[in-house]
Amino acid sequence: MPFSFIDIEQKKTRIIGYLFVFVFVFYFITAYLILLVLENTAFPALSDNPFYGFRIPPLEHTLGALAIAMIAGFLHWSMSTSHLIERICLGVGAAPIDPKDAYHQYLRNIVDEVSVAIGGRPLEAVVIPSVSMNAFAIEDFGGRAVIGVTEGLLARLSRAQIEAVVGHEAGHIISGDCLSTTVTCALAEIYDESFSKLGGVLKRTRGRGVAVLVLIYIIIGFMRFMSSFIRYFISRQREYRADAVGVRLTRDPLSLAEALELISRGWRGQGAMGERMQSIFIVNPTLSELDETEGFFSDMFSTHPPVKHRIAILADMAHLDAKTLEENLKNFKRVAPIAKPEFKVDEAVSATEWSVFIKQEWLGPFSPSELIKLEGFKPDVWVRGKGADVTRHAYEVGPLLDLFRSGQDHGPQAGLNCPNCHTLLSEYSYEGVSLLKCTYCEGVFVEQDKINRIFVRRDMDFGEDVQRLARALMESRAKNALPGKIDPKNAWVLDCPRCHSQFKDSFKMRRQFFVYSYPVEIDRCTRCDGIWLDKNELELLQYIFEHKEQFFDGKSF
Amino acid sequence: MIILGMLLVLVIAAGLWFFSTYNSLIALKVRVDNAWSQIDVQLKRRYDLIPNLVEAVKGYMQHEKDTLERVIKARTQAIDASGIKDKAQAENFLTQTLRSLFAVVERYPDIKANQNVLKLQEELTSTENKISFARQYYNDEVSRFNTSIATVPANVVANASGFTPKEFFEIEDNAQKEAPQVKF
Repeated sequence: MPFSFIDIEQKKTRIIGYLFVFVFVFYFITAYLILLVLENTAFPALSDNPFYGFRIPPLEHTLGALAIAMIAGFLHWSMSTSHLIERICLGVGAAPIDPKDAYHQYLRNIVDEVSVAIGGRPLEAVVIPSVSMNAFAIEDFGGRAVIGVTEGLLARLSRAQIEAVVGHEAGHIISGDCLSTTVTCALAEIYDESFSKLGGVLKRTRGRGVAVLVLIYIIIGFMRFMSSFIRYFISRQREYRADAVGVRLTRDPLSLAEALELISRGWRGQGAMGERMQSIFIVNPTLSELDETEGFFSDMFSTHPPVKHRIAILADMAHLDAKTLEENLKNFKRVAPIAKPEFKVDEAVSATEWSVFIKQEWLGPFSPSELIKLEGFKPDVWVRGKGADVTRHAYEVGPLLDLFRSGQDHGPQAGLNCPNCHTLLSEYSYEGVSLLKCTYCEGVFVEQDKINRIFVRRDMDFGEDVQRLARALMESRAKNALPGKIDPKNAWVLDCPRCHSQFKDSFKMRRQFFVYSYPVEIDRCTRCDGIWLDKNELELLQYIFEHKEQFFDGKSF
Repeated sequence: MIILGMLLVLVIAAGLWFFSTYNSLIALKVRVDNAWSQIDVQLKRRYDLIPNLVEAVKGYMQHEKDTLERVIKARTQAIDASGIKDKAQAENFLTQTLRSLFAVVERYPDIKANQNVLKLQEELTSTENKISFARQYYNDEVSRFNTSIATVPANVVANASGFTPKEFFEIEDNAQKEAPQVKF
C-alpha cells in the first residue's frame, strides 16, 4: 500500500482546519448564549423589546460577542497547541525512558526498529509508570512523533507483541491521523487542566473572591462538558486503518491480535490516565458499552471500534479464528528478557589487627584480610583494635570502612551511603530496574516510581523463606483489622541516602507500612520519596503483590 | 498560423509532462537509494556488534570453537562482499551462522546468567530486526520504482533517460521459506 504523502498532508490540513472552525463556532455560540442571558436578565432596563420582555441582542453587541469568541478561540488554540507533546505527556503521566532500565532499553530498541520500518523517520519512546496495559501515539506540528506504552504492557507482553503494538502506533503516525487526534486531545484537555487547578484555588480562597471564582468555575465546568464533544471528530475507523498499517509494517497480524486480546482482558488504565485523552490510546482506557457495538449511533459517539471485531479481522489474516486465539493465550506468560540477579562480595587487604564481636563472643584478633573472610563480619559489628580499649562499630573505623568500600563495584551513582552500614551503595539490577543495594546488609534503596515497575514484572523466583514470611504476615493481617503500630522510638532512625549525599546533612526517613494492606515496614524519605527496604523486604512486597488474588481472596484491591 | 500555435502549445505541454514525470522518477530513485543506505547503516552496526559478542561468550564456550570461527568468517565475507546480490547472499549466511550461535548459547545456562551477553544478544536481535525492516522498506521502494518505470506512459520517459530497474535485496533463508507464509 504505497500511500501518497501529498494526500495525507492535504487531509491533515483539512481536518485541522475543521477543528479550528469548530473551536471558533463553539466559542461564538457560547458567547452569544451568555449575551442573550445578560441582555434579558442583568439589564432589563435596556430592554425596549415589546415581545414579552425578550430581547434579541442588537447587531453591535453580536459583533462584540463575535470578537470575543475570536479572541477566546485564538487563545484556546494557541495555548493548547504550544508544547503539544509535553502537555499530553503530562496529562497521561508519561515520562522519558530510563536509560539504565533493561526493559526500557528494550522498548527503545523496538521503537527504533519500527522507525526503520517506516523509512527512518525518528520516533521517541516514553513510558507511563502504570501497571495497566495500554499504548498511545502523539505527534506535533513540527513532525515530532512520540510513542508511549505503560509499564504493565512492557512487562506482560512478549517482544513480538510489543513490536506489533508499536507498529500499530506507528501506523497512526504515518497514515496522518495522529496529529489531528493529538490536537483534539490537547483542545479538550486544557479545560480539564484549568478545571482541576481552579478547584484547588477555590478550596484555599476565602472572602469575597469566592463568588467570582465560583462563577468562573461553573463556566469552565460547562466548557469542559462541551469540549468533550470535540473528540467525536475522531473517527473510530482510524483504529482499523492503524491495525492494517501496523500489520503491513511488522508483517505479524497474529502478534497484534494476541496483544489486543491480552490488553482488552486486563486493566486498561481507567481512572489512571487522562480521561479526555482516550482517543490517543490503542484500546479505550475507559470501558464503554458503546465501543463494543456497531451501528450509526456508536459510529458517531465512540472513539474506538469493538475490540472483538478488530481481533477477528487480525486473526483472520493469520488464518486463525478468535476462539483458537483465546485458547492459545490461556496460559500465556512471557519469557524474561533479562538475567537473574547475582551478587558477589570482593576481597580487600590492609594492615593492623582487630578483635571482632560476632555471635555474642569476641574473636580474633585478625588482620583485615582475615577479617573480610570471616563469616558474619559486617559493617555494623563491634570491633576493638589490638591493644586499645574502645569498642566501636566497624563502619566507624576508617581503615575498616575503607576495607568494606574498596571491594565494592559501584556504578556511576556512587557516593550514596547505606543507612545501616555506612558503606557505599552499589548499583544493582533487579528485574531490569536499576536500584541501589548495600553489599553487606542487602538492603535496597528504591524510588517510588520504580517500585511499580518491579511489581508488574515477573522475572523473580521467590525463595521458600520469602513465601513463608509473606503467608505468615498476611495471615496475621487477616486476623487483625489493622496492622500493629510502629514503635515511635524506631520511627525516625535511618538517614536518607540520597538527601544525605545531596544536602550534606542528615535527613531522617520515616518508618511506616508500605500501605496498610501490605503491612511490610519500610523507611520512606519525606523529602525525596525514596524508600529504604531491608533485606528481603522488597521480595516480600513483590510476592504479596503478585499473589494478591490469593491473599485478598477476591476482594477488590 | 493557428496550426503552428497549436503545435507550439502541444510541444510545450509535452515538454512539461516529460520534465514532471522525469522529476517524479528521480524522486522515487532517490528514495530507493535512501532506503539502501538505511540497510547499510544497520549492516555496519551488526559487523560492529559481532566481535563483542564473540569476545563475551568465548570464555564459556571452549568446545564450540568451530561455531565461533564460522561466525567470524561469515562476518569477514559479508564485509568484503560487493554488489547487491553477493551482499544479500553473504548476509544470509551470516544470519544463519548467528542463529546457530544463539542456539548453542541456549545450551549454556552460565551464559544466560551473564547480563552483558544478554544485552549483546538483545542488541543483535534488535539489529537483525532492523535489517529485515530496512530490507522490507527497500524492497517496497524498489517495487514502486520498478512499477513506475515499466508502466505506460512513464516508461517512455524512463527509456529515453536511461532508467533501469533496481535489484531487490532478497533473502534465501530456508527456514523462512519453509515456514507457512501469511498472505495479504
